[in-house]
Amino acid sequence: MSRWAAVLALVFIVGRGQGTSAESPILAPASERFADDAGPETPDFQRHVSPLLGRLGCNGRACHGSFQGQGGFRLSLFGYDFAADHAALTTGVGQEKAPRIDRRDPAASLIVAKPTMRRDHEGDRRFDEGSWQERLLLRWIEAGAKSASPVRRLLRLRVEPTELVLTRQDIFRLQVVAEWEDDTREDVTCLCRFQTNDDGIATVNDTGVVRAVGEGDTHVVVFYDNGVAALPVIVPLPGAGGAAPNAEPGAGQIDQLIAAKLHKLGLVPSSVCGDAEFLRRASLDITGTLPTPAEVERFLADHSAAKRSAKVDELLKTSAYAAWWANRLCDYTGNNPGRQPDGPIGQQQAFQWRAWLHRRIAENAPYDELVAGIVLATGRSAGQTYDDYAREMSSYLRKQDPGDFAARETLPYYWARRNLEKPEDKALAFAHSFLGVQLQCAQCHKHPYDRWTQTDFKHFAGFFNGVKLGVAPESRTAFERIASAAGQPADASKPAPVSQEAAARAEEGQVVAWRELYVDAAQVSRGDQRLLGDSVRVESGGDPRAVVMQWMRQPENRYFARAFVNRVWANYFHAGLIEPVDDLNLANPPSNGPLLDYLTEGFVSSKYDMRWLHREIATSLAYQRSWVPNTTNAGDRRNFSRTIPRRLHAEVLYDAWKQTVASDGDLVTVRGNLERRAIGELATRMAGVYSHRIFGQPERLVACDCERSNSPSLLQAIFVQNDPLMYARLNESGWLEEIGARLADGIADNDPVPGDLIRQAYLRTVSRPPTAAETDAAARYFDESESLGEGLKDLLWALLNSKEFLLNH
Amino acid sequence: MTYHPTSRREFIKVGVLGAGLTLAESLRLKAAEPRPVAERSAILVFLKGGPSHQDMFDLKPEAPAEYRGEFRPIATNVPGVEICEHLPQLARLADKYVILRSVSHNLADHGLGSRYLLTGNRPTPVLRYPVYGSVVSKVLSSPQDLPAYVAIDEDLEGPGFLGAAYGALATGERPRFGRPFSVRGITLDEGLTLSRFDRRRKLADEVDTAFRGFESLDDHVAGLDRFSRQAYEIISSKRSREAFDLTREKQVVIDRFGREEAGQSMLLACRLIEAGVRFVTVIVDGWDTHNNNFRELKTTLLPQFDRGFSALLETLEDRRVLDSTAVLCTGEFGRTPKVNGGAGRDHWARAMFSVFAGGKLGGQALGRTDATAAEPVDEAYTPDDVAATFLHQIGIDPHSEFPATSGRPVQLVRDGNVIKAIAS
Repeated sequence: MSRWAAVLALVFIVGRGQGTSAESPILAPASERFADDAGPETPDFQRHVSPLLGRLGCNGRACHGSFQGQGGFRLSLFGYDFAADHAALTTGVGQEKAPRIDRRDPAASLIVAKPTMRRDHEGDRRFDEGSWQERLLLRWIEAGAKSASPVRRLLRLRVEPTELVLTRQDIFRLQVVAEWEDDTREDVTCLCRFQTNDDGIATVNDTGVVRAVGEGDTHVVVFYDNGVAALPVIVPLPGAGGAAPNAEPGAGQIDQLIAAKLHKLGLVPSSVCGDAEFLRRASLDITGTLPTPAEVERFLADHSAAKRSAKVDELLKTSAYAAWWANRLCDYTGNNPGRQPDGPIGQQQAFQWRAWLHRRIAENAPYDELVAGIVLATGRSAGQTYDDYAREMSSYLRKQDPGDFAARETLPYYWARRNLEKPEDKALAFAHSFLGVQLQCAQCHKHPYDRWTQTDFKHFAGFFNGVKLGVAPESRTAFERIASAAGQPADASKPAPVSQEAAARAEEGQVVAWRELYVDAAQVSRGDQRLLGDSVRVESGGDPRAVVMQWMRQPENRYFARAFVNRVWANYFHAGLIEPVDDLNLANPPSNGPLLDYLTEGFVSSKYDMRWLHREIATSLAYQRSWVPNTTNAGDRRNFSRTIPRRLHAEVLYDAWKQTVASDGDLVTVRGNLERRAIGELATRMAGVYSHRIFGQPERLVACDCERSNSPSLLQAIFVQNDPLMYARLNESGWLEEIGARLADGIADNDPVPGDLIRQAYLRTVSRPPTAAETDAAARYFDESESLGEGLKDLLWALLNSKEFLLNH
Repeated sequence: MTYHPTSRREFIKVGVLGAGLTLAESLRLKAAEPRPVAERSAILVFLKGGPSHQDMFDLKPEAPAEYRGEFRPIATNVPGVEICEHLPQLARLADKYVILRSVSHNLADHGLGSRYLLTGNRPTPVLRYPVYGSVVSKVLSSPQDLPAYVAIDEDLEGPGFLGAAYGALATGERPRFGRPFSVRGITLDEGLTLSRFDRRRKLADEVDTAFRGFESLDDHVAGLDRFSRQAYEIISSKRSREAFDLTREKQVVIDRFGREEAGQSMLLACRLIEAGVRFVTVIVDGWDTHNNNFRELKTTLLPQFDRGFSALLETLEDRRVLDSTAVLCTGEFGRTPKVNGGAGRDHWARAMFSVFAGGKLGGQALGRTDATAAEPVDEAYTPDDVAATFLHQIGIDPHSEFPATSGRPVQLVRDGNVIKAIAS
């Protein structure tokens, strides 16, 4: 995979952080400088006019930012297309060509006459006659209505203060200073847009006045030019403050960072949960699997101090851990059988994809290497001939002695997916899979929550321009020879997917022709390129994807490692540190930034050791908190002072149903045979079937983690109470059959004892022994039942319907 | 129209776009679209496979034999409107439906075409749009003891970006006369009585103590609790059990619908709507007539459809729910104008039909196709327009917006306009 490395030279042009040595004075706000009819200073299109129009809402989606414009006037959505916006104002666009300014009679300009309602305006009054806003626009027109050329770079948007701690009903006026690359600094508070991320905690009005309305924490986000700044706002509980509590015994770095935040908020964490609860939780989160009754009993009987961390280590070595995480990575990378390059064998290719990931997770390959194997994938490996490639690909289908796909150096199917033919679609998928970024917005207009513009998107998509599924020029002869020998369409300029017939030949051991993933050098954009905020250089002859990969591996990269750390965190808690997990943007900061930084840096310096990351999280006290709230933290959802119960994932639940009813003898296979596990090979087979659809298993058709859902619903409740599949589980239960056989054999000594059965039923489902009261209640129910077997079946049904079973808690 | 956002992804990103008009409002102003009518229940009859438009509702008796096929048109009870001779029952009822003859698109593939017609949006890899029934489940309220949206027998496309909570209760099979019909999730297991189910339920209440007192603490705890109670209500409710029980119908009604799956499914749809279910999808399979188009239509497909669909309209009317129900019958595309070598017709999306009924609609045939039913002439309608009109008939603004992937506001129907000649 490193065949490009030799020809690559990666140049990072230093961008941010070149601070000014002697800070320049801060210019007064535009509302003061342009409050008079005339003055020496001219308002600037980029710095003043355009932000003002944004602030007033003119370029919003419901107004002139709409793609059709409004009333014959169209602005770029959320601004930043200065040329188009300037043209729209000064000359007009489209058929009507109606300029919005009048140079001879500035006061008659529509851009002031309409928002002051001197002329009829569907968007109502936006400012008053004689206001500074009107004067700013008039003075810009009077001075010649110049455009923003060249566009200047905003270095930083500085918000004072950097963190706001308020008590309820407090108000605070923000000050925002823009720092430009030419060293000028300006108070732009009156030109910013403001937004709160949770108006239950703090509100912000359009002049930047923050009001605390409820306890908790959130961010107020400020927008100006292409700058986005998020200010943490903390509203502690009454009585918070005072000296920081001593560190709890066993608290590591994660816990100290969480404790620091909780202290600010006045929250006290819940106590550490019991052993049975911990075992169930850790087994579900690490391996997607319930513990067995025997495992629960052993764990409860173990009195060693380090048993929890030892259990975490043990779970991380199971193949179920690799299966569950291969399944999650299949989600992030979009492994769907219907989208594989070769339709008739889509299901096999989906299995190969899963197996490739599974192998690397089982071997704990560094995450960056795993990703490089996907990002830099090519059909042929370095130096491989087309003949060898065709032989290799055919061998994976071979019935006798099949080749080992997981041993392949790279996974070519990610880029070869049928719904990813266009470079734009590749860019969107890539940003989602590996950067945790949603770029769709920037495809058509400036991203509303980050600094990315359409230009950034175009450059980014350019990196994937030459990535092709077809036949590389040097492979043509060999392709055509093999294809005609195998009776396949043999035109290398129009190569077809492998057909059912060709696949059948390959199964019999024949070599058939395959399309290959390759980089078409002719289509690669070379030279200096923008890469999501950074600048890089693509040298001729190189694979531009390698530049992207190298960029991701820079320690200062803000997305690659963070996105994965955040997703892993979200697996163990109900939410990511950044939520939604795949929406990293400047307006959506983490709930605990230092914690995300700590884990990201640790993950990078561990050389992307996935097990390190899992272990660090799963052995923290934060992960071991009880869900039971205390008097302070019932409302906490983002600061991890307690566990938030969450419904089991579709696949985990499906497997758990099977496991809870299996005979003791079958337990090992039911848990261990990954071919029959919904978290294993069944995952791609079952995505889309009724049960998996209603329980929210993703079909991996769109680039969004939100495709997976574990919210409860009515149909799910109907399903667990009354679906034929649930009845089949109970009616065909190996365990219930065993009990039935013992009851029927007439040997009284062999009859099961109700108390034992009740204990087993609890251990199998909710992974803990029943209390004495629960045992008594169930025994009474058995007495009133037709038979012990029927009573037990009802008890199992009741347990499978309990919240304690359906939730991970 | 705005809706209360539920998840956080929805929550943080909504309402950022500032005051003023909502997009739906401004679009409506621009297009001068009619405002939505009062809320109605709805039935979608989906003729899966691509029904032959020129052999059903758009016959071309003047076309050359290899185009016009084997069937002749007959008059209906609406002067000037003719339909196929093998739809005699429907011919009596043309005053109760509107035929849209010039629906046109270009996705002549079952998967893509179905996705288009079932969601009203051209398929895109970026976003999965919801089916109409999921939209109804999300937007309109429905009785506690009934599912909001039932699909007979499966939900072909799903709830898309609205989320799994708004999927259909899929019956899993279609009712057939004379055989026991079990509905997934509604019918109790064989041998399980309602009293035993009740007893189990009481046991479950006794067992489910871990979160007692904390039921409203977290979304998932509260959700499981609420939905579990509602599910029990539905499963044990007399109304819902009876709605699904076709044996309660008089023999004459059963026979009026026809004893085949198509008719019995429509009878079930009728009963469900009557009971209070908000949306029912009926999938009628078998319309992909690449071979023996005429024999298949004449002997099986058309008689069954004629009986079933006419009985549906009449029975809804008899039971006084036709006015309060919007009905749409459509396939994913039409079929090739020219008959192929196997006496069949292949996929053809440039011309197809959709039929609207319910409300106070009826007595119209809108749109025309050319001499061989190959292309619309004059005004053509898109599947988006069909969807917008259907949602409008149900009482939902087709341009209302919901937060989709990463909170981006998305209109239910991106490109369609309500067909004013139909809207009521």
